[in-house]
Amino acid sequence: MSLREHSGQKITTTTSPATVAGRRPMSGVLWGAVLLIALVASVLIAVSIGPANLSPLQVLASVLRHLGLRPESFGVPVGLTAIQDGIVWELRLPRLLTAALVGAGLAVSGAVMQALTRNPLADPYLLGLSSGASLGAVAVLLLGAAVLLPVAAFAGAMAAMALTLGLASALGVITPTRTVLAGLAVSALASALTSFIIFFSAQGDSYREVLSWMMGSLSAATWGSVAIAGVAFAVAGTPVLLSGRILDGFAFGDTAAAALGLNVSAIRWLLLGGTAVLTGAMVSVSGSIGFVGLILPHAVRLLTGARHRALLPLSALAGALFMVWADTLARTLFDPREIPVGIITALLGAPVFIIMLWRWRNAS
Amino acid sequence: MRNSASLRSVLPLVAAASLLLAGCGGAAPAGSVPAGSAPVGPASAGSAPPSGFPFTVDNCGTKVTFTAPPQRAVTIKSTSTELLLALGLGERMVGTAFADGPVPERWQHDIPVISEQLPAQEPVLALEPDFVYAGWESNFSADGAGEREALAKLGVNTYVSPAACQQPGYRPAPLIFEHIFAGIREMGRIFDAGTAAEQLVAGQRAQLDAIEPHGRELSALWYSSGSDTPFVGGGSGAPQLVMEAAGLTNVAADVDQAWSPLSWEVVAERNPDVIVLVDSSWGSTEKKIGVLEAHPVISQLDAVKEGRYLVVPFAASEAGVRSVETVQSLVEQLAELD
Repeated sequence: MSLREHSGQKITTTTSPATVAGRRPMSGVLWGAVLLIALVASVLIAVSIGPANLSPLQVLASVLRHLGLRPESFGVPVGLTAIQDGIVWELRLPRLLTAALVGAGLAVSGAVMQALTRNPLADPYLLGLSSGASLGAVAVLLLGAAVLLPVAAFAGAMAAMALTLGLASALGVITPTRTVLAGLAVSALASALTSFIIFFSAQGDSYREVLSWMMGSLSAATWGSVAIAGVAFAVAGTPVLLSGRILDGFAFGDTAAAALGLNVSAIRWLLLGGTAVLTGAMVSVSGSIGFVGLILPHAVRLLTGARHRALLPLSALAGALFMVWADTLARTLFDPREIPVGIITALLGAPVFIIMLWRWRNAS
Repeated sequence: MRNSASLRSVLPLVAAASLLLAGCGGAAPAGSVPAGSAPVGPASAGSAPPSGFPFTVDNCGTKVTFTAPPQRAVTIKSTSTELLLALGLGERMVGTAFADGPVPERWQHDIPVISEQLPAQEPVLALEPDFVYAGWESNFSADGAGEREALAKLGVNTYVSPAACQQPGYRPAPLIFEHIFAGIREMGRIFDAGTAAEQLVAGQRAQLDAIEPHGRELSALWYSSGSDTPFVGGGSGAPQLVMEAAGLTNVAADVDQAWSPLSWEVVAERNPDVIVLVDSSWGSTEKKIGVLEAHPVISQLDAVKEGRYLVVPFAASEAGVRSVETVQSLVEQLAELD
């Protein structure tokens, strides 16, 4: 409860006209530029890091060649086998881009969920999305359902969301509390079914793949994953990203938002749905990667304040940057093995969360 | 237009690289081929592939086409590593990973170890393999050595020990020695080492025929791993095959799995005469005996009280070139128990 009161308090201070008019918008743009440059630089650096010993020039040659350019004409020597070329173009690059898109999508979704439910502990999976997606994935991996894994995971996520929102609205007007509780119930149900399938039908060590998927892993990312995540971000992410002004109206409660002329119920429905589609698409390519959607919005708030017009785009950039490095660690830290990136995000995310709790304590 | 131009500029490079690789394979010294197996004819650069190539095998449901014998093989898990070494193909192996235990003395060969555990795909691909041969289907996962389709896209052929296929229609259940022998022959065909494969099979068959199964009616539990719930050998895989050949009756024969969890209550009720302990670096014989002796009910079984244990190294516990010698070893250990 004190967290909630506090976040309300913070919003009050940051939106007092004197501070807003002068400094905030400027620093938001500045932060945006810094994060964007850092993101582009990180992708370029991370693509040349990996267990296979490839020189930056070899990486550059591979990328140039696939862009339809002749590396030689740029003075880039081409000493590259077909497999080395594949390592860069089929493994590392799609994986990095998927990581960036998933990170951006989850962070934006988390920020929106936290605003819509006015609950600082909300994350993108609040509507039972990750449990629903896991159930869909397990049905494919273990029961051999004849659909593509991302399709089944997405269908599972959407079914869980429909069930959650249906349950919440059947109880009356969709309020934050009802949404959270309905999500909890649906999650528990889907998790139980998932556990049952794993326990009952996993043969040999086929549970491994399931485990890695449920922890969140980008190791299976292909250009198809980039396309799914990219299209989802463009279609569902962009409108959500631009909803900052409306969410700022929500910050003071449903009554205040209605007084500003907002149709509270319709907007909540739309944004919950849009975020769910975005998250569902991300989960379908990466499994449920935790902590990104929870932590990144809070971290960005510490930098730029709680105004959503800046918070949403900055969260997207920060989320992308965070995931690029988290996944680079996941695939290089324990070379020649790799671990699911969800372990890294939790290992990094939990301490950050503790630090933020500590700061909140001092502030309140 | 630009694409085709850039493609053309790549082609000579690829050709040069493959010539180089083929050259390396061809230069392999023949002296390291173990006695008793036929020397392997290397596919030298430029010449046509050996007769019989190309051909396609249906491996656990994945179609794999071989245009020439592999020159740069990577093996994952002991069964695959040991089969290639038993066929005298050590010179064609560029890396190995996820060993279940040490390679027997007679097959020792200096092969770079990629990883003690399941490696990720990039370290595997960094060796430029043309063939990745795994003991389990699950080794070919995105967070493991790479998915089979993804590797195929990069021109890397994949293969799983057929005895480990899990899909209906491919799962050999119950497993018989002919399955293992067929796997050896298929590997011989892939590497154009048919003669070596035939000799290996003939030798194994002779060794198997010479084994006198233990005479008495004895029941046995194949205790593979686990402590709260033991993971035991079921009725359709290598444990069943080996125990049956040694003249033992598997107490878990009614479980239609190669391995399966079984409750201690069921073990107690079936009261095995002897217990086969699988010895691995993560689950030693001593540890397993400790678990058995600490259990309030299991510790009261005669097999435990009298220490009627047989030991099988983990690497020899899965279906492969060591299955016959495992039968032999069980029979010898049974004789010592009497």
